[in-house]
Amino acid sequence: MSVAAEISARKAPWWLKRHETLLAIILVLALIGLGAFNERFLTPDNLLNQGRLMTEIGLISLPMTFVIITGGIDLSVGAIVGLCAIMLGYSWKNFGFPLPLAIVFSLFVGALAGFVNGLVITRVKVPPLIMTIATLALYRGLAEGVSQAHSVRGYPEWFYFLGQGSILGVPTQLLILIVLMVVSGVVLDRTTFGRTLYAIGANETAARFSALNVDRAKLIIYTLSGLASGLAAFVLVSRVTTTRMDMGLGYELDVIAAVVLGGASIFGGSGTIWGTAIGLAMIQLLKNGLALTGVKGDATIVVIGAALILSVLVASSLQRRRD
Amino acid sequence: MSATAFAGAASARTGGLRRFASQEALLAVAVISLAVVVGAINPRFLAYRNVADILLGNAYIAIAAIGMSMVIISGNIDISVGSLIGVLATISGSLAVAGAPTFVSWLVPLILGVAVMAAQGAVVAYLRIPSIVVTLGMLSILKGGLISVTGGRWITDLPQSFHLADLNVVGLPMPVVIMVLATALAAIWMRYSPRGRATYATGGNAEAARLCGVDPQRTVVMVFAIHGLFAGIATLVYATQLRVIQSNTPAGLELTVITASVVGGVSILGGVGTVVGSTLAAILIAEITSALVFINVSPYWTDALRGGLILATVIADILRRQRRAAREWKK
Amino acid sequence: MSEAIQIAPLLQARDIEKSFPGVRALSGVSFEVKAGEVHALLGENGAGKSTLIKVLSGVYQPDGGAILIDGREVRFATPEDAKRAGVATIYQELLLFPELTVAENIFLGHAPLAGGGRIDWREMRAKTEALLASLEINDIDPDQIVGALSVGHRQRVEILRALSHDARILIMDEPTASLTEVDVTRLFDIVRRLKGRGVGVVYISHRLDEIFAIADRVTVLRDGAYVGWRPVADTTSAELVQMMVGRRIDNLFPKTVVPIGAPVLEARDIVRRPMTKSVSLSVRAGEIVGLAGLVGSGRSEFAQTIFGVTPAESGEIRLMGEIVRIDSPESARARGIAYVPEDRGVQGLVRPMSVLHNFSLAALSALARAGFIDRAAERRMAEAGVKRFDVKTSSVDEIAGRLSGGNQQKIVLGKWLANNPKLLILDEPTRGIDVGAKAEIHRLMSELAGAGVAILMISSELPEVLGMSDRVLVMREGRLVGEFDRAHATSEAVGAAMMGSEPKVEKAA
Repeated sequence: MSVAAEISARKAPWWLKRHETLLAIILVLALIGLGAFNERFLTPDNLLNQGRLMTEIGLISLPMTFVIITGGIDLSVGAIVGLCAIMLGYSWKNFGFPLPLAIVFSLFVGALAGFVNGLVITRVKVPPLIMTIATLALYRGLAEGVSQAHSVRGYPEWFYFLGQGSILGVPTQLLILIVLMVVSGVVLDRTTFGRTLYAIGANETAARFSALNVDRAKLIIYTLSGLASGLAAFVLVSRVTTTRMDMGLGYELDVIAAVVLGGASIFGGSGTIWGTAIGLAMIQLLKNGLALTGVKGDATIVVIGAALILSVLVASSLQRRRD
Repeated sequence: MSATAFAGAASARTGGLRRFASQEALLAVAVISLAVVVGAINPRFLAYRNVADILLGNAYIAIAAIGMSMVIISGNIDISVGSLIGVLATISGSLAVAGAPTFVSWLVPLILGVAVMAAQGAVVAYLRIPSIVVTLGMLSILKGGLISVTGGRWITDLPQSFHLADLNVVGLPMPVVIMVLATALAAIWMRYSPRGRATYATGGNAEAARLCGVDPQRTVVMVFAIHGLFAGIATLVYATQLRVIQSNTPAGLELTVITASVVGGVSILGGVGTVVGSTLAAILIAEITSALVFINVSPYWTDALRGGLILATVIADILRRQRRAAREWKK
Repeated sequence: MSEAIQIAPLLQARDIEKSFPGVRALSGVSFEVKAGEVHALLGENGAGKSTLIKVLSGVYQPDGGAILIDGREVRFATPEDAKRAGVATIYQELLLFPELTVAENIFLGHAPLAGGGRIDWREMRAKTEALLASLEINDIDPDQIVGALSVGHRQRVEILRALSHDARILIMDEPTASLTEVDVTRLFDIVRRLKGRGVGVVYISHRLDEIFAIADRVTVLRDGAYVGWRPVADTTSAELVQMMVGRRIDNLFPKTVVPIGAPVLEARDIVRRPMTKSVSLSVRAGEIVGLAGLVGSGRSEFAQTIFGVTPAESGEIRLMGEIVRIDSPESARARGIAYVPEDRGVQGLVRPMSVLHNFSLAALSALARAGFIDRAAERRMAEAGVKRFDVKTSSVDEIAGRLSGGNQQKIVLGKWLANNPKLLILDEPTRGIDVGAKAEIHRLMSELAGAGVAILMISSELPEVLGMSDRVLVMREGRLVGEFDRAHATSEAVGAAMMGSEPKVEKAA
């Protein structure tokens, strides 16, 4: 976690606007505070392990940042994680796919699930909130139906490298997250695609009248959201060694909280990957910190829920004061 | 003009036989024809025992869907209701076991339901935070809070007097009576009270509602409060049927409730729909779930079916609106 | 005493002043309506009609002047106050709830109540029926759902709602804008009945023929100022057009004569329902074609069809002689078409974005390599644009929404000129901006025409159309109804074609 945060903090000075800077300072203070409070916290082992644990949420939060910047939302990501995990395990064990093909197949299913969201949102004009609530039920239901609540285990040893292995001491999946984070950040900051997303969120009509391809951009981001959920499913299965139908349950909360905490406006038009990275780190820090002080896992989601509401409240009252 | 016919006119326009093509009529036909078809395949489906199971086991979903329909009609959404019912059931059961008078253990969930939902409604209405954010946050607060406080302990040894749902009224089981009464009262309220009409106005066109002297913000708080009341009643029906309260949230309950509302004819864009339809839809969904068992389909497909149903209804609703808008242009 | 009350007009507005930041919307406007009178309010777009009715109906509070009801001065803090004083307004967009019944819409907010706060359904229906009967409307049922009614019927429901408040003064803002001919006839019938009952009607319309058909008096506004009033019986449409457009043609329009080249745009039989019904026109290189017409005549809709926002259903578009298919703004841009839209705040500018990002928005693909924006080039482009168009901003990093209207318009124009378009469509290019910025935009248009750009300019401001155009086309109800070359384009002739009131002085095309 801290690696990602430090990278963005170090590269940041000219990228980070005020919100991200503020968040980064809070993050650093929290790190120091927790470190002073508990000696097991600020150890490389603990920090790297936290990085491993936050990767699944982190992967999905990247396209979710895109989606929220356009003023949309995707509630189906957790369900897609469940569906893809099942597709991975079942296509390997029950359909007899070779494992590498099964992995590719489950990623494809994830992308397809996201594409269907995007297609209905752009063509039929169903609001994203409603569409993804509906597919949240549908995709989770498909995971249940296909798996019949059976789990899959017994993957070969090499399969666990992604979820449990390390490269030069850094968890494999954390490296992937960092690479994708930098790529997403650059895409958002430097490309016409990224600029299109901001324009859609700030004023969709003007974006259309400026000859930007709004529908194509939306289709791409919802597809990416599904694909990232599929990748997260792969990482998750590899980390916990089992495939279950309830995987990814409630992920939408953590993902949306990370993005919103990172300064993206839930109304669209603003947000950065660097902010999301800090938001993500803060949420993981919260979970870890509470766990180290003896609070159970279920109480942490209380805190995340409260943090989500509070950060939106603070952001919207700041916005109102500025106007 | 009855409440049913009113909504029928809303979706199918006025006049003659077309009124019968309403969403409610469609749902009623679906409920009956599904019963006939599955009953023909497996007569045990229509046995008293099974019909009673379907109704008793799902009455609380229908009751919760009434409030959800109002919330959606007012242009909002609530995904915290499932967690709230879980929390209220645990509180109610704990009170009963701790020796509180029965009426207290029945009354407290109603009061807390109203309080929690009214608070959410106030944040949505006055602080202008989208209802999805508020209720998503509340969902996790309630869910996490419940498990971390109770540690997942089950509540057993409930006193006999606690079991409201075991009573009968003129030979009918209490949950069914409450479901029918709640639906009827809500339908009448939505139809005949000024505030009920204000709910439609707020969801349909909040700005115009304001110009007509309706206060959209107060209306939203009121609607959430009423939704909380129905969530409390649903909790009673649900919790007092159980011998053991598991201190958790019925999985996916909020989605079942939303599905019942949407399939029942509530336009997800706000402003249209009735509560009668949502009750019928709740029964239909329960019936489908049960029918799957009787025709030997795994119940694990239920959720996928429910998802497909809500998706199809939403898309059909939006396409119907677009066609209507196109027709209006031509006039 | 009682005689004095009778003589005092129902509603009187004296020397009303109203300013918005940067704009003087009304200055010294007076207006009155007597009981049983239909008083029409006439003026071009932006003349101040809408502001005046919003002041009269309590939506805006005037900065100066007085409003009198029955000769007594009143203050309307809210629309509710005006309603209580008997002033009801029917806006162009009807404020009805499509899901509710006729009776519910009429009585929403003041329904008759029975005991216990219940709506007295029977009483409400009876009152609705009485209202319907009083206007002899027998084809509306109180229980009908409003969403199923035609536009004409809905308007009648709005009128009934006004009457249910015992309105004595009824303000109607362009009530016939979306009505069929039959509905117009019925509306006039209703207006005459109301008049007979002593209701004072304020009737806003662009259509001179309607004013002659229904009004007793007409007051003309221009540029937020009061021009004068005439009894309808003693005036002519020529006089009214003269009053509306004024003698401002001698204003300085820096139109320079440039050689006109080959056709750039040739559109034939373009159809896009419901607003564009078979339009054919051409624009040549170096030519400025003015497209005149009233609001709702289909000019913007036609322009947006050429630009691909609402692609044509049938017809043929040729650019530089070549048949092209335009099905999106992207394809229009790729063909060298630029469109500066009418609604700057919604369609033109991304207000929360910086000047820099707004400038580059329509030219991103040209500024990018492999999808990556060349940020140095972007900045150079925006800075050059700011300089060229003299945009007054502290830096290109300023938020675009914070600039004045004129500067915002220059940005929208500038972002499209960055693409070096061959055809430039300008939709109300100078609406709501100050005189200096206006002159600069006109100068720029001449300069562009000199460089061989074909310009199609939509404007509701007649002097601008007449001053800037080589050729003037007039649209009405989705069709081209007149064409004038520069020499024959007089305000009377063009104005008459716009209104459809007088025989057109048409030039053989």
